[in-house]
Amino acid sequence: MSTLAPLLRQRWRRDAAQLAVWIAGVAALAAAGYPGVRGSYGDEQERIALLATVMANPVVLLFRGLPSGAGEAQLVAFLLLPWLLLLVALMCSFLAVRHSRGDEEDGRLELMAATPAGRTMPLVATVIHGTGAALTAGIVVALVFVASGAPVTGSALIGAACALVGAVFLGVALVAAELMPTSRAANSLAVWTLLATFILAGIGNALGTPNAELTRMTSAPLAWVSPFGWTENIRPFDADDAAPLVASGIVAAALLILAALLHSRRDLGASFVPQRRGRARARAALRSHLALIARQSRPAVIGWMVAGALVGVLSTALATVAGRLGDGNPAVTALLEALGGADDLARGLIVAFFVMLGIFAACAATQTVIRARQDETRGTAELVLATTLDRQRWLADHLIAALGAATLTILAGVAGAACGSLGQDDGGALMRDAAIAGAGQLLPAWLFGGLAAVLVVALPRLTAPVAWALIAASAAIALFGPLVGLDAAIADLSPFAAAPIPSSDAVDLRGIVPLALVTAIAIAGALTGMRRRELAA
Amino acid sequence: MATVIRTDALTKHYGTVHALDGLNLTVDEGQVHGFLGPNGAGKSTTIRILLGLARPSTGTASVFGSDPWREAPSLHRRLASVPGDVSLWPNLSGGEAIDLLSRLRGGGSGAGFEAARTRLCDDFQLDPRTKGRAYSKGNRQKVALIAAFAVPADLYVFDEPTSGLDPLMEVVFRQEVARVRDAGATVLLSSHILSEVELLCDRVSIVRAGRIVDEGSLAEMRHLTRTEVSFVASDRATLAAAATVPGAEDLGQSEGRITLTVASDAVAEALPRLAQLGVEGLRVSPPSLEELFLRHYSSEPASAARR
Repeated sequence: MSTLAPLLRQRWRRDAAQLAVWIAGVAALAAAGYPGVRGSYGDEQERIALLATVMANPVVLLFRGLPSGAGEAQLVAFLLLPWLLLLVALMCSFLAVRHSRGDEEDGRLELMAATPAGRTMPLVATVIHGTGAALTAGIVVALVFVASGAPVTGSALIGAACALVGAVFLGVALVAAELMPTSRAANSLAVWTLLATFILAGIGNALGTPNAELTRMTSAPLAWVSPFGWTENIRPFDADDAAPLVASGIVAAALLILAALLHSRRDLGASFVPQRRGRARARAALRSHLALIARQSRPAVIGWMVAGALVGVLSTALATVAGRLGDGNPAVTALLEALGGADDLARGLIVAFFVMLGIFAACAATQTVIRARQDETRGTAELVLATTLDRQRWLADHLIAALGAATLTILAGVAGAACGSLGQDDGGALMRDAAIAGAGQLLPAWLFGGLAAVLVVALPRLTAPVAWALIAASAAIALFGPLVGLDAAIADLSPFAAAPIPSSDAVDLRGIVPLALVTAIAIAGALTGMRRRELAA
Repeated sequence: MATVIRTDALTKHYGTVHALDGLNLTVDEGQVHGFLGPNGAGKSTTIRILLGLARPSTGTASVFGSDPWREAPSLHRRLASVPGDVSLWPNLSGGEAIDLLSRLRGGGSGAGFEAARTRLCDDFQLDPRTKGRAYSKGNRQKVALIAAFAVPADLYVFDEPTSGLDPLMEVVFRQEVARVRDAGATVLLSSHILSEVELLCDRVSIVRAGRIVDEGSLAEMRHLTRTEVSFVASDRATLAAAATVPGAEDLGQSEGRITLTVASDAVAEALPRLAQLGVEGLRVSPPSLEELFLRHYSSEPASAARR
């Protein structure tokens, strides 16, 4: 056991900063709940109206919790609980793979297994470390709720729910790490399981039976298949039922035991799903650097396109709900107008959703450009630059792929909006607004690709953190600026907020000129700078 | 004979560290040129400059008469290189990486390429279907070597190419170098393995702390050095008698043997006197590259230059 302490210290040291960010994010989300509800749905009539509208639209229930009453605390739990659970689950899932298959793939586990720690102790340390992180997150969430003025029992239940769902997905990811040969494959198996069960819980809730007042929903049995579904049935601040948490505890324990059993039955470095063999020969299409980048970015871009399409569907599918919400709730109307900057509620909703789409597209572009830097640090850039490829072309190819990735994400969003507008009364008008809003978000997305390229040239070591921070700051200003009453002149500093939007009979071009100018300067600057940039050794 | 690589007073500074400190390297056409030095002497930095991946701080470098920093893409049509530490794309198989790199160099198709690729994969015993992330260091090296040898080039640049290869694969590598040399190509081979350079290279440049400290053919270099002669001590062949050998220096006696050194180009003049003394167990050892190398590296304390 003497080897456990150093292993735990090593995990703590490696993760401290990262876990602090995760837990701070979860705490910030929990803290945002009460002020948000008090601001938008201050009196009970508004909350009852909101729940009634939501019950009528299953799409909303996919992304929210289980309606359990129209009180302030119940509404906060309804809006936030699934997302708190999701964040803690993701944190634990990545943590598990990082310290199991990740270490194993890079050969670090072999180093540790050759010490007296052996093959088993690192897994024990990961389980302790992961449950510790989940528990900490749960305690922090509970404290934040109590500090916001929520009843103690319900807050404690929410905290326990977060910790236990974290433990369940720690187990899911550790089992995935035993099964899959690479950390990438283990992460995607775990995250897909997580997302699938999250959506399953949403479908289960949406198919449930509402009560007569339309303030409370009884989940369909399907929700009980998913850890998210049964956990939401604790109904904090309403029934305050701890029984579903027992299920989480049992499933978490079963998964951890399964992971330990699998671990004890395989060789170090082996996996139950074998490493797939590659092709002996490259496909004919893989004959240029651009083709290489396209191939490397394909899975990520498909992910961003799926996310974009989802946002697109919601943007138009919810248009009717928005109209109904606005009729009964002036606060919601004001909010949507502030967010969307449009005079029409349905149009405002589309614009607000397409800000989100623009953020996704910017993420797709940035991720593709950052690949250039990863290529450089890994050493594969040296291989291709020793061929007939020149440095500027090397960066230009990454930029072309990035602009393409952003454009595809937006196109997927517009296609999603087209699906969402099918069968709606004013589908044509919605489609027109979506197309304009989508085209408007192209420039901000390209701009972030260009900025990332400037970073690759000028500040290579800081490329990834600075590029993501830029997007995060701009996204926060565009999404939350209007909610907190930020001055329009400052909000327009965010490229997403300054993008062209549709108006009733024309297009409001807004900041198109500065956006286009900065994008062009960034791209030209990056390519010119690359002429003098050495490859990092 | 045309000069393929020429560097003139090349320096490269990384902050206060002087990786190269006035390096003059010349490689002529058709040579297999050994570029010898320990880790951190500046070999890889020089190669990065020759490939146009890094820019000299001062001084000039030219490859086939052009500036590698400005003309990298056109130069690289004539050039194949293998870096010291090969990284591959984790999700591409070795076979895909070979095809991709060959295509990016402008080859990668035609009957000649197919034949060369098949032969090289067999000779190097590479499984081309393994993914990049699953290869060992030696196998990654093989992938890069096969990609380099599969498309003909005028200049091959290898940075410690055999560092991960087993002895059998080193033999295959030497055969391939001999093949491209016979085809008229020029080879720059950086290494710290002296036996490898001795077996392969026509000429050698020894680099130390960012400068070339010795350059020449192995034969020329040996001229400047002394050959060690030793024999069994006997009544006639005594230490005193050994001092009468023409040109003898560094006399000594240990474990029943007398040792002395003579200039490497004066060994023949020493032989008649050795015959008169009736020496037994005569051993004449020409200087190995290792001794040449150690001579340059033991005289002064190594400077702080690091890459």
